[in-house]
Amino acid sequence: MTEKTKNILSIRNLKKNYPNGVKALKGISIDVKEGEFLVVIGLSGSGKSTFLKCINKLIDASSGEILFYDDVNSSDFTDICKINSVSGVKKIRQKIGMIFQHFNLVPRHSVLSNVLMGKLATTSTLNSLLGHFSDADRAEAQKYLDLVGIGDKAHIRADQLSGGQQQRVAIARALTQNPRVLLADEPVASLDPATCHVVMDYLKKVNQELGITVVCNLHFLSLVRQYATRVVALKDGQLVFEGSPEEITPEWFEKIYGAGAQQVHIN
Amino acid sequence: MSYKFKQLLFDGLSFVFVAMTAYMWILNPTPEEQIEKMFFYFQMFLGLYVVGIGISYYLSHLGFVTLGSKLFEPAYKKKDHKVVRWYKTFSGWQFLIVLTVLFIVGLIKTKFSVYELLNIDGFQGVIRLFNEITSPNLALLPKAILNIFETIFMAFMATVLAIPFAFVLSFVSAKNVMTGKVGYPIYLLTRTTFNIMRSIEAVLWAIIFSVWVGIGPFAGMLALMIHSIASLAKQYSEMVESVSDGPIEGVMSCGANRLQTVWYGIVPQVILPYVSFTVYRWDINVRMATIVGFVGGGGIGTLLIQYQGQAMWPEVGTIIMVIAIVVWLMDQASAYIREALK
Repeated sequence: MTEKTKNILSIRNLKKNYPNGVKALKGISIDVKEGEFLVVIGLSGSGKSTFLKCINKLIDASSGEILFYDDVNSSDFTDICKINSVSGVKKIRQKIGMIFQHFNLVPRHSVLSNVLMGKLATTSTLNSLLGHFSDADRAEAQKYLDLVGIGDKAHIRADQLSGGQQQRVAIARALTQNPRVLLADEPVASLDPATCHVVMDYLKKVNQELGITVVCNLHFLSLVRQYATRVVALKDGQLVFEGSPEEITPEWFEKIYGAGAQQVHIN
Repeated sequence: MSYKFKQLLFDGLSFVFVAMTAYMWILNPTPEEQIEKMFFYFQMFLGLYVVGIGISYYLSHLGFVTLGSKLFEPAYKKKDHKVVRWYKTFSGWQFLIVLTVLFIVGLIKTKFSVYELLNIDGFQGVIRLFNEITSPNLALLPKAILNIFETIFMAFMATVLAIPFAFVLSFVSAKNVMTGKVGYPIYLLTRTTFNIMRSIEAVLWAIIFSVWVGIGPFAGMLALMIHSIASLAKQYSEMVESVSDGPIEGVMSCGANRLQTVWYGIVPQVILPYVSFTVYRWDINVRMATIVGFVGGGGIGTLLIQYQGQAMWPEVGTIIMVIAIVVWLMDQASAYIREALK
């Protein structure tokens, strides 16, 4: 990565307190560079998931700033934390796609219909409820399905696909939004090791070929070393590490995951 | 409401019940006297209630476990109690006494009579009735069949017309959809309205509608519809509340608005249970349509009440036979359909 890369997201002192008193994020500041594959690691409950969901407002942060530079070459930005209008949230979610651990597809709908969800934000409510999407939208959905290698499955019910295939549908759905950033919350945590790599390879492809910035939560360090261009680690809602994957030494590993933790390899 | 408060209310009520029953048993006032002195009894009730609450409070202060505290105390307290045989506990005796008194008052209030039950004249009357009912007058069969069709379609229309209302209302009365400062009061309001609507029996709705639109199947259908809207909306909304958040989150992350989220995130998850509940509701409505007919709601119920009023038992037998067959068929069919929908 060259030094010229600019921030697409600039997160400052982000805090999240849940109503039950849990402090999930205790003031996190991270810069996300355009075009990078940033991986967030940390134990379960370290705040990784909350962190990602604050970025696309599935969760409202308690305080702090998330500055989003839609055009990285200008100094104009939107503070995602300050958005509270329905249309503002819609705009941000359109630009920042997301995939989830459990894929979160719509059951009983076809794969194509699921991918077309990515066009909900730009389709009128009436048309979307009737299932009327434009031919251009349909062609685009099909294009992204082809990109993730399941173009032939377009008319099969989404819940009948395997886990790995469902996650690829979810990637295609997010891509159909034409996002600048793709958030991935534990995208391979419920997949078997072999399928894991297929999905991660597609995320890499999205990152490198389409130039979409990826922010991804991961469990397995072996995957981190293979795919991440940069790593940050959270522990108890705080940032404890920031650097390249090679810099995670056994000492750092112990600090992030606690003494006595064992590395698990996926190959 | 703390458990202590519930305990005092419960124990107080059990004391006032036993005490007032004893008072009535000793003085044995006639019904006229009871009606005349109702206000006095009410005052006595309140006074004794306070006394009962005091006794309950004092007993638990002394360390006795009353039935109220045994019933309502939270689980962490229950763990502390040793296992004791019931007749060695205060709550055991309290339960026994209250249940016994309840049963005795029940016998008196329902004018329970073994003599009447074993009276030979009455018994012969039943045998005669039974003989007549089981030798149905088949001449009435075509008319009964015509009327049962009216009943079936009353139930059908009531169900079908209730669906769109219940469908929309089910989302408005689901806790997970109606969040925020605007949503939550609407949720409370709709839920309360459904509960009130359901607590009014379909028979009462039928009486109201038979005045409004006149006696006949239309009144019955409207009565069943009102009842169905409330029941279906409650069942539907409970399904909405139990959907998984995943698809909702997925659709929301695409920038969907509230309506789109409901349509694509929730509806696909609830549509099968909805169909299942609706089929079952039709089945229930056929049964209720018969009862609704008794008060002028049309259909086979009205026919039944006409012949029953004239003590034309063979005709009544025919009608009962037709109802039984149709209800049984509907029950079976709806069970099979619901099984297939799983």
